[in-house]
Amino acid sequence: MNPAVGLVALVVVSVATAVIGFYGLRISRTTGDFYVASRTVRPWWNASAIGGEYLSAASFLGVAGLILLSGTDALWFPVGYTAGYLMLLLFVAAPLRRSGAYTIPDFTEARLDSRAVRRVTSVVVVVVGWLYIVPQLHGAALTIRITTGLPGWVGSVSVVIVVCLTVVAGGMRSITFVQAFQYWLKLTALAVPVLFIVFALMGSGSTAVAPAVVNPTGLAAAGPYQNISLLVALLFGTLGLPHVLVRFYTNPDGHSARRTTLIVLGLLSVFYLFPTAYGLVGRMFTPELARSGQADAVVLLLPGQLIGGTAGDLLSALVVAGAFAAFLSTTSGLVVSLAGVISQDVLGGSVRGFRLAAVISAVVPLGFALATDSLALAGSVGLVFAFTASTVCPVLLLGIWWRGLTDTGAIAGMVTGGVLCGGAMVSGSVLGAAGTPFWLAQPAAWTVPAAFAVMVLVSRATKRRVPRTTARVMTRLHTPERPLVTER
Amino acid sequence: MTRVRVTAPLSAARPAVQSREAAEESEVGQLFVRSLIRTQLRLALVVAGGFLLVLCAFPLLLAAVPGLAGTLVAGVPFDWLLLGAGIYPVTGLSAWLYIRSAARNEARYRDLAEDK
Repeated sequence: MNPAVGLVALVVVSVATAVIGFYGLRISRTTGDFYVASRTVRPWWNASAIGGEYLSAASFLGVAGLILLSGTDALWFPVGYTAGYLMLLLFVAAPLRRSGAYTIPDFTEARLDSRAVRRVTSVVVVVVGWLYIVPQLHGAALTIRITTGLPGWVGSVSVVIVVCLTVVAGGMRSITFVQAFQYWLKLTALAVPVLFIVFALMGSGSTAVAPAVVNPTGLAAAGPYQNISLLVALLFGTLGLPHVLVRFYTNPDGHSARRTTLIVLGLLSVFYLFPTAYGLVGRMFTPELARSGQADAVVLLLPGQLIGGTAGDLLSALVVAGAFAAFLSTTSGLVVSLAGVISQDVLGGSVRGFRLAAVISAVVPLGFALATDSLALAGSVGLVFAFTASTVCPVLLLGIWWRGLTDTGAIAGMVTGGVLCGGAMVSGSVLGAAGTPFWLAQPAAWTVPAAFAVMVLVSRATKRRVPRTTARVMTRLHTPERPLVTER
Repeated sequence: MTRVRVTAPLSAARPAVQSREAAEESEVGQLFVRSLIRTQLRLALVVAGGFLLVLCAFPLLLAAVPGLAGTLVAGVPFDWLLLGAGIYPVTGLSAWLYIRSAARNEARYRDLAEDK
């Protein structure tokens, strides 16, 4: 591939992101604008923005790579990522919007009337956010290395710089426009090349090198336990992701929060058809990519390999642009939500504090990313989902639907889930992919029930501590807003 | 242009709308609220359960009918089509049904709460 192609695509996406970010700066003036775009973002904009933010390196590169490696087993990843939004809609979307809180720690504090719960939730949210930014930066490093031949750190560092500039300049309002733009960019960047490829293959009448069922690497197929555990992580992990939740506060009311989620489901369903198509085409026509250990780069390499020439270069440029849109949008979404948490809890909630916090939340994971090696992208994001599902998810679900939750129970449950799942992740990385038993590699199936169980049992044991505000808060979470009244 | 110093609200507590205040305080109001929460939870669980059943049915179907997985539909193996594309319409349909019923539950609650 022509190295200039990758660089040009990277620069164009970064400049476009910055321009839209600065355009947004002119209309964001108050702290409310900064954090949640004053809750006046329209459902289609908001849904595109949620889609843009959610579709990360794992979705853009990792899913196709994993499908290339393990075939139909990996199809559970896109299914789980989408179905996670269904769970979010069913259990969380409207009540969370009605809570009127800005961040997850705001929500737990208001619900349980406890500063201690707030602190623990803040720590968990920051850990989740950092863990989730690292694979994005790995993806950026991989993309730069494959497409330009430059050292990988150039990619990670440039993503962090662009994100810091846009977030510091405009906050959430400009982020909403940036994210919405990036969803459509990502969709185009995957859809156009794969359609070209399919037509080219049909037109030239070339036959598949290998049928889709043939396993290119001889990797063992996942058993039912792995598939179920993965689905648990993805279904319950989505509803605890900090950058996803903060988006719901930008809806004007609970009902529009639900409508937005429905649109997001549609957008995600359309999007995931394309990584699946890349995976399938890669498996049938370029199985050697899987054997060369470059499976995650299949989306980037396929246009060049199957079409070639100038057309191939142009299509590659489009894919690289889409990939950077994915890294930028997810990272900036995470940085905004982390900065919201850090600045309110540590730095007093001013706009200057928010800017400082944004820089902190982007630079720490950069250090991690530079110090560690990239695993399979979809796999490492899957582990982050498992962690979220074992910590934030139980406190949200029980907080919204169960009056008996107490602050002690919430803390005990979050700590249990965090320690079990975090322990599994650490020992998994110490033992290496080959030495990790299957139940440690996919911990969600036991850590999520454990966190729920501890939360319920400890809450039952500390019944006296059920806050007196519970009835009032529950009413607020579940009763519809008056029509035509906006809270401002 | 003048610069104004702004700070974030410290806590999430914001004044609620009048009718919601009323619902919180009276005993009958709380009864309605509890019943609304129960109805909404039941609805969410039913939709989630239905969706998960369909989700489990797909791989079971592929395992139960030999040869089905490998059947080519427009050049694509059937198992790829079913898992890679067939689940999304089910997700969308579940979501759409849920939103309609949830809005209906809320409308019913609002009628009750405002009549009393």
